Amino acid sequence: MNFDFSEKEKTFLAQVSNTMATFSKAQDLESGDLSMIRNHLTDSLAVLAPLDYLKIGLLKEGAPLSGTLALMAAMEQLSGIAPSIFLSVEMSTRLFGRILRLQEPTDDRLKIVEKLASGEVIGAVALSESAMNVENDPLATVGIREGGRIAVSGAKSYVVNGPIADWFAVVGRLDDQTAVYLIEKEAPGLTLTERIETMGYDGLAICGLGLDSVMVPENHIIGPIETSRCLDLLKLWENQILIAAALGMMKSSFEAARDYAKTHRSGGKPVIAYQEVGFKLSEMLTLYQTSQLYAYRAAWMADEDPKEAGVLTLCAKVFCTEAAESVAGKALQILSGEGYRSGGAAERAYRCAKFGQIAGISTEIARVRIGDAALGRR
Amino acid sequence: MDFAFTREQLMFKKEVLRFAKKEIVPRVQEHDLKEAFDFESFRKMGDFGLLGLHFPTEYGGEGADVVTTVLAGEALGEAGVDGGLTLAYGAHTFLCADTLFRNGTEAQRKRYIPKLASGEWIGCMGLSEPDAGSDVASMTTTAEKRGDSYVLNGTKMWITNGPIADVAVVYAKTNLELAHAGISAFIVEKGTPGFSPGPPLIKMGVRTSQTSELVFKDCEVPAENLLGKEGEGFLYAMQTVEWDRSALLAPFVGVTTYMLKKCADYAKGRVQFGRPIGAFQAIKHKLADMRIFGEAARTLVYRIAWCKDQGRPLNHLEAAIAKLFIGDWSLAVTNDAVTLHGGYGYTHEFDVERIFRDTRLAPIGGGTSEIQKMIISKLI
Repeated sequence: MNFDFSEKEKTFLAQVSNTMATFSKAQDLESGDLSMIRNHLTDSLAVLAPLDYLKIGLLKEGAPLSGTLALMAAMEQLSGIAPSIFLSVEMSTRLFGRILRLQEPTDDRLKIVEKLASGEVIGAVALSESAMNVENDPLATVGIREGGRIAVSGAKSYVVNGPIADWFAVVGRLDDQTAVYLIEKEAPGLTLTERIETMGYDGLAICGLGLDSVMVPENHIIGPIETSRCLDLLKLWENQILIAAALGMMKSSFEAARDYAKTHRSGGKPVIAYQEVGFKLSEMLTLYQTSQLYAYRAAWMADEDPKEAGVLTLCAKVFCTEAAESVAGKALQILSGEGYRSGGAAERAYRCAKFGQIAGISTEIARVRIGDAALGRR
Repeated sequence: MDFAFTREQLMFKKEVLRFAKKEIVPRVQEHDLKEAFDFESFRKMGDFGLLGLHFPTEYGGEGADVVTTVLAGEALGEAGVDGGLTLAYGAHTFLCADTLFRNGTEAQRKRYIPKLASGEWIGCMGLSEPDAGSDVASMTTTAEKRGDSYVLNGTKMWITNGPIADVAVVYAKTNLELAHAGISAFIVEKGTPGFSPGPPLIKMGVRTSQTSELVFKDCEVPAENLLGKEGEGFLYAMQTVEWDRSALLAPFVGVTTYMLKKCADYAKGRVQFGRPIGAFQAIKHKLADMRIFGEAARTLVYRIAWCKDQGRPLNHLEAAIAKLFIGDWSLAVTNDAVTLHGGYGYTHEFDVERIFRDTRLAPIGGGTSEIQKMIISKLI
């Protein structure tokens, strides 16, 4: 047992945090149109690549840290700086990138991984469909074998990075199992919807995809994989990202509220001196620190006991994403009018927090699955 | 960072689980309903080595590390041992015996630790008073030096093991003009003239633990019963916080696992509307919340324990966070457990009702949740 990060880990984490804080200071990474979003992401990747941040969990050679726990801690650093950039980077690097490494990766796939790790390409994962719940309804996106290739048709919604991606990992059915189709952005038959406007994550590019007999060569197909195994793995990785996102939101909104409470005076004293404020901050820090440990332990378990990690990650996902909303909400209350103004850390976190409870596996479905595990099912 | 227990630690936890299920749990309900202390179980805990687990072997202990000691506490809760017995164990081993061990002379250690580690004697700690709870410095119990003795006067309140203790570590003011620095610690044995425990208080939960006042009326103790140095009593009392936030919280973590299993078993067997209630999503959500809480609480407690094993001074912020979280959140899940059992959950027939009553102490004992918030907000 050891609750400390190593010196090497601490040094790297500080490096990520400092580098990104300096970088983000010059610009607002949460606003802009699509071209600005693309520029922000490209610039961020260009800053992160020299740190080898993008290699963690993706490439063994040259990665500054190893293990899912270290990855979680590294993601936490980035998520505290800018929510949209974080989600965009991780959905590309860690979700799309790890999918590329599934099964026996072909040389083609490994080349894309190399480019992801150096920040040269952007990836997007297309999983959700109109039914929204891939647990209950089979995927409607289907691949049909045609000679040596597969014709993929279907529609996908809520594809993070969709409008700016170079490559898509489209999840669909193949031979009554699940496969991931690797599709380039210019592929004939692939269409993108308009960017979807969302409540939070202003700086994130999300869209839907249409696929009309998109021809995919065999070497760009990952799978087929047994459906529940495939979906469990994708959800696990996505949930790890959403957990880290929640930690970042809690950090930024807690710090904003704390700093305000220490400097804003009322009745001749800083407002933190009032129990109504001080106690709220205490509750916020309790949720934040508990979430942090939860996230680290679930990440550690992913390497230690992958079978057990599934349920533990769901537990952490529910706890951390709900804690994020609670912490952001309390921060808004402490910041009062200042907190309600657009653009503040707490206001932004409050809007973004809901996404974490919906995406990946919704907290409701997660609870059902945790409950099933307690009942000895699944 | 590494959250793994050693193989030996896990094996020991299993042994404690097996021991507690066989030797203690069968008598829990009877003692809870009678509000009676289970002396037999307590002695068996001593024989098993639990009461002196972390003390060196030469004093009758097992020389265990803190994490192992905390695992034992979790195992007791997980086995279904009631909160009254685990509280009595905590007050005995960590608040009394450990304070004696850490601050006592060699003669004091040799006199008390082996007896306390075996369970031959029962210990308690007298710190709180009717008008001095978390505000320790406002205590009014005095210890006046008269020749080779100290004369104690005052009343202690909420003393776990008070009515049954053979020895007490008692905090009293040796200098009324000073606040914390005026507090000293004394060893007072049962039967000392002028020392009398009050009758057991009737409580909502943790009913097998015996709680009372300790009354001191011109109670004269020899000067060698001063524990450590004059004026350092508050520091000794604060040392116990490390245990309070780890070993004493551990049974709450364990009991969540126990309760989850009980609730899952009930949900599988209870049929309504033609199917087990476990098939309903709302029931699964309650089970999920129990697991979610238990996993969160576990890590907080072991962080405190591991830091103590490293010899680090207590991080008061982390300690208060652990206490606040477990105290407040445990109530919600035990409440859910009662509801999940419906009418049965409200009866003594199913022990979720006892667990609910026992757990109600979590946000009160050892410093209320509000006090933890005060501590945290000052340290932010």
